Amino acid sequence: MSDFSCVITGGGDGEGPGGADALRASVESVLGQSLRGAEAVVVLASAADPAVRTTARALADRAPGRVRLVHADPAVRTTGALRNAGLEAADGRYVLVLGTGERLQRHACRNLWLAGETSRADLIAGRWSRIADESGKEREPSWQGELYARSRTLARFTEAPGLVVRDALVTGFCLRREAARRHGLRYEEDLAHGEILFGPLAAAAVGRIALVRRLVVTGRADPDRARDLTALVEAHRRVANTLLAHGLTELREEREKAFARDHLVPLARSFPRLPAARRAQVAAAAARTLTTPVPPDLPPLERVAVTLLARGDAERVLAAAYALSRPATVCAPLATGADGRVTWGDGAEGLPLDVTELGHQHRTFGELRLMNRLTRCATDGDGRLLLEGRLVLPGHSGPGPGTPLTATLEFRARGGARAVAFPVEEVRHDGNGIIWRARADVSRRLRPVGARDTAWDARLTVQAGGADGPRSVSDLFAPQDQVEGAARFAAQPLLGRLAGDTWEPYITLKDHLALRLTARRRPARTAHRLIRYATHFRPARKAKLLVRALRKRLDRYRSRGFKATAYNTWLTRLPVRRGSVVLESHMGTCYGDSPRALHEEIRRQGLKLHATWSYDPSPAGFPDDASLVRRWSWRYLWALARAEYWVDNQGFPQNLRKPRHTTYLQTWHGSAYKRMGFDETRVRLQNAPQRERLQQAVDRFDHFLVRSEHDVNTLARAYRLPEDKLLRTGYPRNDALIAERTRSETEGRLPRPPLASALGLDDHRKTVLYAPTFRGGPGRQGKGRLLLEVREFAERFGDTHTLLVRSHYLESARLPVCPPGTVVDVSHHHDVSELLVLTDVLVTDYSSIMFDFALLDRPVVLYAPDLDTYTAERGSYFDLREKAPGPVTATQDELFAALAELKKSDTRYADQRRAFVAQFGPYDRGDAARRAVAAVFAPGASRGFRGARHTTDHDRGAGR
Amino acid sequence: MSRDIFIVSNSTDELGGVTGWMHQTARLFTGQGHRVHAIGIHASDLTMALPEQPAHPVTALYPAHPPTPWTPHGIRDRFRIPTRRKEAARVAAKKQAVARLSEIFATARPGAVVIVTQVWAMEWVGEADTTGLRVIGMSHESYGYSRASHRYRWIKNHYKDLDHWLVLTEEDADQWAGDGMNNVGFLPNALSRLPAVPSPRTARTVASIGRLSDQKGIDLLLDTWAQVAPFRPDWRLRVYGAGEDETALKAQCTALGLDGSVEWMGRTDDVERALADASVFVQSSRGEGFPLALLEAMASGVPCAAFDCAPGVREIVRDGEDGLLAPAGDTAALADRLLRLTGNPRLRDSMGARARSGVQRFSEPETLRRWEELFAFLER
Repeated sequence: MSDFSCVITGGGDGEGPGGADALRASVESVLGQSLRGAEAVVVLASAADPAVRTTARALADRAPGRVRLVHADPAVRTTGALRNAGLEAADGRYVLVLGTGERLQRHACRNLWLAGETSRADLIAGRWSRIADESGKEREPSWQGELYARSRTLARFTEAPGLVVRDALVTGFCLRREAARRHGLRYEEDLAHGEILFGPLAAAAVGRIALVRRLVVTGRADPDRARDLTALVEAHRRVANTLLAHGLTELREEREKAFARDHLVPLARSFPRLPAARRAQVAAAAARTLTTPVPPDLPPLERVAVTLLARGDAERVLAAAYALSRPATVCAPLATGADGRVTWGDGAEGLPLDVTELGHQHRTFGELRLMNRLTRCATDGDGRLLLEGRLVLPGHSGPGPGTPLTATLEFRARGGARAVAFPVEEVRHDGNGIIWRARADVSRRLRPVGARDTAWDARLTVQAGGADGPRSVSDLFAPQDQVEGAARFAAQPLLGRLAGDTWEPYITLKDHLALRLTARRRPARTAHRLIRYATHFRPARKAKLLVRALRKRLDRYRSRGFKATAYNTWLTRLPVRRGSVVLESHMGTCYGDSPRALHEEIRRQGLKLHATWSYDPSPAGFPDDASLVRRWSWRYLWALARAEYWVDNQGFPQNLRKPRHTTYLQTWHGSAYKRMGFDETRVRLQNAPQRERLQQAVDRFDHFLVRSEHDVNTLARAYRLPEDKLLRTGYPRNDALIAERTRSETEGRLPRPPLASALGLDDHRKTVLYAPTFRGGPGRQGKGRLLLEVREFAERFGDTHTLLVRSHYLESARLPVCPPGTVVDVSHHHDVSELLVLTDVLVTDYSSIMFDFALLDRPVVLYAPDLDTYTAERGSYFDLREKAPGPVTATQDELFAALAELKKSDTRYADQRRAFVAQFGPYDRGDAARRAVAAVFAPGASRGFRGARHTTDHDRGAGR
Repeated sequence: MSRDIFIVSNSTDELGGVTGWMHQTARLFTGQGHRVHAIGIHASDLTMALPEQPAHPVTALYPAHPPTPWTPHGIRDRFRIPTRRKEAARVAAKKQAVARLSEIFATARPGAVVIVTQVWAMEWVGEADTTGLRVIGMSHESYGYSRASHRYRWIKNHYKDLDHWLVLTEEDADQWAGDGMNNVGFLPNALSRLPAVPSPRTARTVASIGRLSDQKGIDLLLDTWAQVAPFRPDWRLRVYGAGEDETALKAQCTALGLDGSVEWMGRTDDVERALADASVFVQSSRGEGFPLALLEAMASGVPCAAFDCAPGVREIVRDGEDGLLAPAGDTAALADRLLRLTGNPRLRDSMGARARSGVQRFSEPETLRRWEELFAFLER
């Protein structure tokens, strides 16, 4: 008796070609197990391919004790039946069934065995990964991470619902053989994909289940959903019924939803890649088998796709598939009901499909992307390309039936600038769409060079109502099979006929029409073959490898690590350039904050200083009178090395040393509520070298601006800054706020600065700025989700308020589409102070922006749903609830209530606000920029204390 | 079944948990009838006193810490002859050490096992001839602490192809497995001895035992104590241990004005005695594996307050039941735990008693059984 039996089948029904390779891979993975007591039980169908038989026999000869061949009865045909035969033949303590081509991870049996022996469980399951279709890359299903977050033993499968809600137990688990026998666990013989049913049945039957966070199986193939839809639905239905029989209605509902997302939506998405006949077949099969109601809480487009699929409407599923891959495109006419809800389709679908959430209704013709369905692609009698199509109109916006329409068809070289336009001969209204027809004499008018520009993408521009009317530009969408071999046209490349001789329309991987230059006649084909040979024979391959290696080498010289070393050893020895200042704000992301205010003050005073600004990623919006250098470029390092002054609000790259001749003015980017620097738990827990690096970076500062004694007690202490480095001037960026306050107190708020109209702010609407703080940690930059439901705000306050949203400069949040004029994304605006000046009410949580805004003496509402967890996690310097400059709200309803009654309640908070300013911003008196410039840049400004320490610093580097 | 077991550590006699673990485990295996050989890469100058003369042979490959491999700094360094010669000498010495190790391994009977307790030692074991031996790697620290240090790369490189390697808790093993190391298992450390009499918990003393190095976070402990001392003027903090940060820590203590309430006890070889004099034990480490000091304190019936810095700590101390945990690095929270323990004798007594009984689940026979099971399992 062996320890572990792995059942592998060969030659069952429905097994594709390549069975021999798959079998070999599976069996070899068993032989490679670190648990030597693992055997492979190979069950061969009598109808198995000769190649499969030979392979199996060869493997059995190679490892006679560990590979056992079982020749199944001729009556046993299906994979399920073969697996049952394998389960009967197995004699290990544990059995495991591998699907076609699946491989065991090297330590899989050992890990399963160990877990089984310690937990005494009957079913032991671990992680598995599958091959993604095109790239061939292994990937684990996304839900698996949560299910196997930690190894554990379950008394019953319901303790981990994911096991049966998802198709988690299709592979990657083993059963105690004795338990499998006791419970009579068998595969359904007549069911393709019986493993979908077998796993949940086994989990429900056995008692204890052990989950191990180890990778067990790799190389699982996704099922062919179009081919096996009926079987997949049947297996799913039986699992659902099993759950129902156990009285688990909730799990069944979850499973319905998971099935729709994991199988039906991917099937709908694959529609453009299926041939027309297949699409019709699949749709018909779906209509037959999908009888249960569509799960109600799917996202809108997914719900549309699944509903249409269940109705068997192949053509509309195609449109839904296009919408799924491009959510911003309108793919069907939209109808708006009396209650303002928007539904998909013209009503012919019969079911109301609510897509209000997509926000298409807030955009107009010209702003909207519209699906342009290619209906015909052929050659006309005169050897021209004939294209016909139909542009979908959303219904709520678009040219009326009487509006004159013009259109042009354009082919554009991919990756190049050249484009050729063709007139459209017919374009007219058709109910909820626009029908167009164009003839393009591509042979004569489309003249490619012949090299590099061999693919040309088509797109159509429709213009409504004359030259100034709105224009809609769209790609031509068609399923993959629609234009195959439809037409060919002679091509005349500028390089001559050898470069290519034929234009061939085709559909790109993104489902759009394009033309490609191909070689069909002998001369061009020969030329192409020769070119291919010249670029692919051995010396050419060698040369390519060499080039690649060289490029990699060069990339190393462009890496930050190399640049930092070169900077620290060589560039810092360069002589100082007198009067040069390098400025940077928020790591180069914007031209704003205090460095900008200082720059403007320097400019105003006419000091003879040469400013250099660092930008990252784009120089747009940066001033003309300064040199601009990209952060981390060689020019940036050069400027830093030679600068007399560094000015920054967050920190120049930590690993760059400050040259001896440089004075570093750190303006800092805000007073602190949450703990910072060495007060931060994260920093305190770092190991000594990490903390030492931070200390060295902070030691570079020569001046540090503070705006209150609070800053001195918090920031200065947290960064261990000595008293003589502190400049008690306040923040230069806040001078504008003080000036605005004075102005509005004497002259009133109106007229507002020109920025207001640029942002589309109405004078009679209140402006609310929502600016939450950064919630990620280092290295976790990316898309955050706003805690405020912007759409609900727009619904409730849209008529009277405009919401400006500024997400943190390290995070980007995508806002949903809202009615125009209600929500404006100002995340990319350079200067926050300019926005604050326009703002009537500030909504924030823990951002330092509240300290600045309070200077304007305008209402602040704090919206901090996670106040207690956040302060417990990050730590804080004071109690926000006690000192806040306005009401502290914990839920959205509270926030909305606070905003609604702001006028009444504000007098209550006015005193609190004044106390807040007195505590946190007493040094902000409106002349910070002038005083800071005088202290740092003016001739004879104090620089005496720097001397000794930095000399040693530099000498240490130079002496190496 | 008696087998040959080689335990390889960084050092034979360095002061620290892993070395102590090596000799303790060697003693256990010897008692079980195995033939044990303890090997250290080097002998150390800051030595720990071993309780008794070990019954197993102990070998150090180098008399002192071997030099670290040379990486040229700049072009000039590349052509500097003395450094080149030093590097050549280092390589030769390493070759010799590896040969010596291979020689020791060659004496093994079939079924022998090499236990590598620290990944650095793999630099030698990996090059030595281990044919016919089963090599088991170990990491005595949490996943998180390894992740932040250079040892993460070492573990990934050296342990990837091993048959099996061990961490201290299941949670750590899961984290490593999620990181692609599927050959990882876990085995907790054992409590060496249960003192006959628990601490009377009458002295107004808080004890801390550990090397005075960055990892043990004594600087955080001093910050914590600065928040406790004003409320507990009659309590003393006793810091046992020595280490490279001693002067800096003493300076910090003076700067915080704690000289009157902190007692620097230096190194101790009699942990039991130190614990008998204490009523509360505090641990403020930045990173840990499966801290023996905590186990020992609990075995003496001393209730603990500790940073929840690793799965091992959570596994030993059941928060609120037989000790109090604070979020790692949060000195205010740790101060709060200390205030609770020092202010409430009834709480100390109940927690101490529970700790003493609870910690016996990590007894030596239990751990030994798990080792034997592991050896048998790896032969399957």
